[in-house]
Amino acid sequence: MLQYTIKRLLLTIPTFFFISLLLFFVLNIAPGRPGASGGGQQGESQNQEQKESYRIFKEQFNLDKPILLNTRFALEQDEVRELLVAAYNMNGDATAAERITAQDNLEDYGNYLVRHLVPLLDDTDAQIRQASANTLTVASQLRFISERRGDVKAARTQNRDISKRNQAVKLWRWDTDAPQAEQAELTEKWKAWYVENEATYTYTTEESATNLFLDTRFAKYWSNLVHLDFGVSTADRRPVFETVLSKLKYSLSLTFTSVLLAYAIAVPLGVFSAIRQGTKLDAAVTMVLFIMYSLPTFFTGTVLLRLLTEGEPVSWFPTGDFQTMTSDPMTTWARTKDILWHLVLPIATYTSVSLATLSRYARAGVIEVIRADYIRTARAKGLSEPVVIIKHAVRNGMIPILTLLGGLLPALVAGSVVIEVVFNIPGMGQYIYQAINLRDYNAVMAVLLTSSFLALIGILISDLSYALVDPRISFD
Amino acid sequence: MTSPQETAPAAEGAERQEDPTYGDIIWGQFVKRTMAIASLWGLVAMLLLAIYTPLLASNKPFVWHTVTDGWSSPWLTSLFDRNFYENSVDIFFNTALVMGTLSIGPLMWWWKRTAPLKRRERSAKRTRGVQVVLAVFILAFVGIETFPHQAPKKVYPRIEAQLLEKGEDVTAVYAPLPYSFRDGSLTEVREPISMAHPLGTDNAGRDVLTRLVYGTRISLTVGVFAVALYVTFGTFIGAIAGFYGGRIDMAIQRVIEVVICIPSLFLILTVASFIEERSIFHIMVIIAAVAWTSPARLVRAEFLRMRNLDFVSAARAVGYRERRIIFQEILPNALAPVLVAATFGVARAILIESTMSFLGLGDITVPSWGQILNTGRTTGIWTLILAPGFAIFVTVSLLNLVGEGVRDALDPKLRK
Repeated sequence: MLQYTIKRLLLTIPTFFFISLLLFFVLNIAPGRPGASGGGQQGESQNQEQKESYRIFKEQFNLDKPILLNTRFALEQDEVRELLVAAYNMNGDATAAERITAQDNLEDYGNYLVRHLVPLLDDTDAQIRQASANTLTVASQLRFISERRGDVKAARTQNRDISKRNQAVKLWRWDTDAPQAEQAELTEKWKAWYVENEATYTYTTEESATNLFLDTRFAKYWSNLVHLDFGVSTADRRPVFETVLSKLKYSLSLTFTSVLLAYAIAVPLGVFSAIRQGTKLDAAVTMVLFIMYSLPTFFTGTVLLRLLTEGEPVSWFPTGDFQTMTSDPMTTWARTKDILWHLVLPIATYTSVSLATLSRYARAGVIEVIRADYIRTARAKGLSEPVVIIKHAVRNGMIPILTLLGGLLPALVAGSVVIEVVFNIPGMGQYIYQAINLRDYNAVMAVLLTSSFLALIGILISDLSYALVDPRISFD
Repeated sequence: MTSPQETAPAAEGAERQEDPTYGDIIWGQFVKRTMAIASLWGLVAMLLLAIYTPLLASNKPFVWHTVTDGWSSPWLTSLFDRNFYENSVDIFFNTALVMGTLSIGPLMWWWKRTAPLKRRERSAKRTRGVQVVLAVFILAFVGIETFPHQAPKKVYPRIEAQLLEKGEDVTAVYAPLPYSFRDGSLTEVREPISMAHPLGTDNAGRDVLTRLVYGTRISLTVGVFAVALYVTFGTFIGAIAGFYGGRIDMAIQRVIEVVICIPSLFLILTVASFIEERSIFHIMVIIAAVAWTSPARLVRAEFLRMRNLDFVSAARAVGYRERRIIFQEILPNALAPVLVAATFGVARAILIESTMSFLGLGDITVPSWGQILNTGRTTGIWTLILAPGFAIFVTVSLLNLVGEGVRDALDPKLRK
């Protein structure tokens, strides 16, 4: 058993890695540019400042990096030249889309371009020379290192140095009508600068090999992930993991109460239904549960909300929200009462679904064992009916419904998108729903990863609990 | 599942002495469950409703006559009009409407003609007949889709009113609900229940009942096709994993584990939000991409159980190719649990689709039940909440009841 547990625990690591790989891939093939101001349009209409701020944004979120493999060290000079031709439309035949792609590529390739751009400063074509110099001012910019972790002081000094180096070359560009002398002077400056800084912008085979895997979005994301850093939200720029944790209490107070309630009602109901199997009462209970089972949550929730809150016909409960929004200080008791008051309808909605599922399991579980030989034996021994039912039948019949609890763990944490949206409860479900609509991918990723991780643990617990409660099952 | 026609001869089997097939036994068990068989008929009725929806609700008159236009039937021509029925789902059902009605006669004739034959021959011929009809149907649908017909937009009730005002002679015969599910009239916003609008109108002046019956098409299509898609894929993957075992099985198991761990609704909503112009085909594919693991696991377990049984060894000994052993020998015996899962799966797919539409992440161009309910939630119109909710509830209940019936019928312990 211990061996099995350890094996399973170890297996969760690669599984989680592949989950994150899959989710990362799915989220990164998403079209649309997260956080791009002006609806993601780009081109000549956008001014230099906006372009610059979007470039910094992309760097911040590693969006300028390739997703899984970085092959940019293998760029050829001809490719770079073609990109320049397309980006500045030198042949006059590039479509708008081609131009934008080329511009984006030039921006994203960044440092990898430098060693190709410097030779291009001597190109025979004046346009190329100008374009190279102008691109160099962007491509030579070094990235700041993260100040969020590790030795903050050293990082700061280093960043100050980087900033100085970046500032130095930022304005070494020229306009089309700049005099020859100025152009020549700047070209010389660039060349001198490159001789000085060559090591930074050329890559040894070793560096190329590490960059192939490590200078990618996925690697950067994972290196942050092991520090539980899920990045910051593109919407409000706050660390998403903190937000996710702060949402937990809302979801948990809703789901935990509901599931407790559901178990408390479902087990006796299922048992009752099972021992009266075939009677009219059983039929009625089964019928009601079946109806609850088939009613969609969003329907139940909407009807309850419409029926009991807005004063048509009655106004017994508040219209959604987790608690009353007031600045007045409240006693703990008053606050709890207020929250409970708000949660009655969502809990009722949530419970109705899980209740139906659970008691069907409970009933089936008891029915399964009630015909078993050992129950007959128990009766033959002359045990009283309650003892037979509770001690012998229910205990064994509850195995499936107990193990179900492990599977419920992710649902507990994730809450329910529908219920949280309908009742406006600021939990995990509503958070991911809003993040999806805002294309806040870091937040979406954080919620998906956390809930997948919990699901992984939940499945593990449920598998192990099978073996714990049922001696017939053994994993050895 | 076998059709009722095939079991009929089993009853009169005295003269022909045919042993019941496995299908006959299961069907016989299924018919004994009143709720299940009633629900099955309910579903058949829903399917018919979905197919014959334009007979019930359309703002194109069946018969149209004016002095200038002469006699025409705008309803008939509108069935394949891309400007009127923008969605392929509607074109699909309209094709079924025309083709289905036309093929009832020939099929009945074929059934009668093949009745005196021996079972094996008879079922082969009948299958061939159904295949021919399906082939013609698919050809017709593909043809209509490839060469879309587009007629100028005309709102007949309005034209009729204008002409009558001028005192012209107009003859127009409409469906019981002379409304379009897409265009409302802004003078009839939020109408209460009345004779003209049995369920009132919504905030855009569209007839609720009309939208509801057209929504049947959407729900059934999403349910059936999404499930067909993922059951096919999942069965294939599961069969491969279970049959070959070893490393292949190990790899597939890991993939399944990865997919199972990701909360499906979160993933579905996330992926749906990527697609700029979501159609219900995207939604089916998304649902299928997440749900294929359950048939895969079921089939895998069945294959693992069966691959060392005698009949498989016999098939190997005879020298059948692996493909034949997998798909013709083992697979038919492994499908029973999949059938049950698929029936419940249709209900689940319908629920997922309506949840997506309810959250605004479905296909916004179609009158999906979830979307109608969402309008009801935001506007507070009662009929918009109750009607689609009830429709979803009934559909899901019927499917769950049929599913339970199939499950019990397949369970030898519960034979009646």
